[in-house]
Amino acid sequence: MITFNCTIQEGIIPDDLRPTLASELARISTGILGGAPNEVSVQWIEVPHGFGFRGGELSTTSAVRGEIPPGCDQETRVRLMQTIQDRWMELTGCTTAELVVSARDRRDN
Amino acid sequence: MPYYRCIIPKDALSFEQRQDIARAFTDIHCGSTGAPRSFVSVAFFETPDGEQSEFGSEYYLDGGNRAGRSEEVKQQLLADLTNAFSDIAGVPAERIPGRIRENPASWTMEGGFVLPEPGQEGPEWYAEVAAAAAD
Repeated sequence: MITFNCTIQEGIIPDDLRPTLASELARISTGILGGAPNEVSVQWIEVPHGFGFRGGELSTTSAVRGEIPPGCDQETRVRLMQTIQDRWMELTGCTTAELVVSARDRRDN
Repeated sequence: MPYYRCIIPKDALSFEQRQDIARAFTDIHCGSTGAPRSFVSVAFFETPDGEQSEFGSEYYLDGGNRAGRSEEVKQQLLADLTNAFSDIAGVPAERIPGRIRENPASWTMEGGFVLPEPGQEGPEWYAEVAAAAAD
């Protein structure tokens, strides 16, 4: 099971773009790690305007936090994060400074 | 990478208080770790009236950082964050539990770069980050 928690700032990612982003996260992650796209879970956490900050100022940053099966080698992990970053930027028009991507090993706690 | 989630009751803090806390957290984190200010994210999540937060307390500071710092540094960081929050929000520190969880730096890509381990940044890395942020 692969899960993604996408934390976005209100007004930054249009609602109608989210299904495309979710399907792309599923396609990319299963293409690199294996598994079936329908077993990938994508959750959205929207931070209301005025509630998210970066560097002490209002944030426009999106964070895509993935949990992947343990044991992934670093080369594969980097390829996953890089591919997600490139596709997310392509679809949303954000800059590298406005995106954080992580792929951590799944854990129980 | 540094990401601080502040769990708060609904309507507990004004925008000015939230921003003051975010700026204080940024100052404290960067002063303690030397991280670039632009990497420090702070978000506030209100618990709706009549519901209990996922942590079981009204207030909670949930931090996520790069692994590799000493326990002493982590505890001091959490204490400083808690005290700053307490001062600005007017809430006793005893009512603000929290934690700092860690993950390997190499599990995160930020600003287009895989993060280096704490202490391994070097001047070249800071220059690359600054250049990318200016693009």
